[in-house]
Amino acid sequence: MRASRRDFLTGIGAAAVAAAGAPAIVSAQARKGVPSDPVKLGVLAIRAGIAAPVGTAGLRGTEWWADRVNNGGGILGRKVQLVVEEESNPKDTVERYRKLVLQEKVDVVLGGISTGVTLALGTVAEDLATPWLSWDGTTQKGVEETMPNPKWAFKSVDNEVEAIVAGMLTPKYFKGIKTVAGIGNDYSYGHDCWQSYQAVLKRYIPDVKFVLELFPKLGVTDFTSHIAAIQQSKADLLMCSFWSGDATIIMKQAAAVGLFRTMKGVFTTAGGVHDSLKKDFTPEGLLLGYNTMYFDDPKGSPLLKQFVREYKAKYNEYPPYECDHAYFNAESYKAAVEKAYTSAQEWPSKAQVVKALEGIEVESLSGRRGWREDHVQMCNFYQGLTTHKNAYDFATINPIEVVSTKQAMKPAGAKLFDWINSWKI
Amino acid sequence: MTQHVVSVLMSGIFHASILFLVSAGLQVVFGVQKIFNLACGSFYALGAYVGVSAVQAYAAAGGPPAFFIVPLVLGGLLIGIVGVVVERGLLRFVYDRDETFQLLLTFALVLMLEDAIRLTWGTSPLSTGGMYLVYGQVRILGAAVPVYNLIVIAASLAIAVGIGALLTRTAFGRIIRAAAGNREMAEALGVDLRRLYAVVFTLGTALGTIGGALVIPATAAMSEMGIELIVEAFAVVVIGGLGSMRGAFVGALVVGVLRAVAISVYPELEMLLIYLIVIAVLVLRPRGLFGAAATAT
Repeated sequence: MRASRRDFLTGIGAAAVAAAGAPAIVSAQARKGVPSDPVKLGVLAIRAGIAAPVGTAGLRGTEWWADRVNNGGGILGRKVQLVVEEESNPKDTVERYRKLVLQEKVDVVLGGISTGVTLALGTVAEDLATPWLSWDGTTQKGVEETMPNPKWAFKSVDNEVEAIVAGMLTPKYFKGIKTVAGIGNDYSYGHDCWQSYQAVLKRYIPDVKFVLELFPKLGVTDFTSHIAAIQQSKADLLMCSFWSGDATIIMKQAAAVGLFRTMKGVFTTAGGVHDSLKKDFTPEGLLLGYNTMYFDDPKGSPLLKQFVREYKAKYNEYPPYECDHAYFNAESYKAAVEKAYTSAQEWPSKAQVVKALEGIEVESLSGRRGWREDHVQMCNFYQGLTTHKNAYDFATINPIEVVSTKQAMKPAGAKLFDWINSWKI
Repeated sequence: MTQHVVSVLMSGIFHASILFLVSAGLQVVFGVQKIFNLACGSFYALGAYVGVSAVQAYAAAGGPPAFFIVPLVLGGLLIGIVGVVVERGLLRFVYDRDETFQLLLTFALVLMLEDAIRLTWGTSPLSTGGMYLVYGQVRILGAAVPVYNLIVIAASLAIAVGIGALLTRTAFGRIIRAAAGNREMAEALGVDLRRLYAVVFTLGTALGTIGGALVIPATAAMSEMGIELIVEAFAVVVIGGLGSMRGAFVGALVVGVLRAVAISVYPELEMLLIYLIVIAVLVLRPRGLFGAAATAT
């Protein structure tokens, strides 16, 4: 199986090999100045509660990466060993982070999803002087950055980017929108997405009216009353930033009363649970966001296709975006170590790895992704209109819009709303 | 306007009918065994997961979608049997202990069941796909109402009537009321309390599991779904009166409909309004609306 994958990779040419992260051509021999013991990578993953599927996907992406790297000879010939701890509440997660660095003596910590947790991890990472690469968590308070110049912390894409992308695409796909209702979870992410979406949409449609906003608690499983209120608002469009099982539930409960027969819909983040959005109840023509990876991208790299195929075979699911965040983090660490090695000629120190990470670009599952100089992830966002024309029992998107964080994320140091208001449209 | 009022009321009553089943389970157990069963929400989640599995197995076996409700209800009822295991295996050891022990034990059950669910069914939300839409929708005064919601409301009403009849019109119901009123006297008169407790707790459990199974086509099963409901069930029993079935019925209606009205009129008040009522009841009528009455009334 492994051999055939390598044969396949070598068979499709140098460009594709490079695109796939080139595991097959890394020497299995340890290099000069490189220790022979495995390099330990700490991983923090949410395994319980509402975000457990997201954490699980990140962990699976990391494990797939580790297997691939180890089969290809490791990093500079050093095998990779994952030390997995759980992300839960901020206090306990900080303790586990300390344990990873101080007791397990890992070289890097990967992971972190909830911004509530990662806001706390950021300062701890700085204290412990070990690089921390966050899958999906930022150090934002609301939409503003709290750690503009970190030394050790590398943060995910700004939380509100997918709402901004959706705001940019709304006027393109839905003409004549005058009134908009919004629903999101009652915590920072839900509120920030709604505010950002409103700010962007107002730039494109200055006289748009926002007629209703609903913020049910995270974990609510009955939205029939919310849907009744949305119907009553008679808005032209509903914007929804649900990202877990609640996205599936509201879609189903909306279908039961025919909500989207008359109303347009924007689901900024529901692509996180895409394979639960069955065709039976997910109408065509909604704007649906897949965050940073679209599993069914026809232009996807051989790496993506291989990952999707193997993920489906192993877990009987189609991978969500968190796999890509996680893969990118791990792969960027590997690339940074290799880059730093070329000048150091020995296994690089943590500080040398950090330096190499700044501005680095690597091939991830979704394509090329990188770290901005101020330690924020740069990548593409995938959104599009739902369609039933596919081989699955759930909706996918077509056409597919790919929007870069270069367009949709505030530049380093900028204030979000000032930046949006400065756009020339 | 009428259309909107109907939508809001129907969504509130739908929520209330599920809330009633879980609260009724809580009430019947408290009424007889004087145990405040925090795990009632976990039984609800368990019923939901078993319901999903039953419907998925039924669909995989090629059963006609229109009758999916049969495996759903059977699955929900059968898993109620877990009540016997919990009562005989755990609860019977704490009947004579302090209430704190009982609360701790049922809270431990909440945590254990959540993990058991996660181990069995995984962490991703599970749903019955589009089964919910099989029965279509009807228009009531212009408002579209899913037929399945009406089925759930009808089922919940039927269960309420059934329990009412069981408690007031059967010999077994008299025994339950007797034991609820005076445990020692009932035992002295020959009631087998061990058996009675096992049956009552199983009944309470089955009310929760059937509630979970019935709601699941309209939503998705998530391992922590029980917690959300326990909190609302608390409000229901405080408003209705601890141990009273009629209280559970009225309390569930009050909480379900008020929540729907609040979401529609002033969404920020959703939970606050319910707790304002809880506080008002605690101050003005501390035993709840029907609290003075015994289980049977």
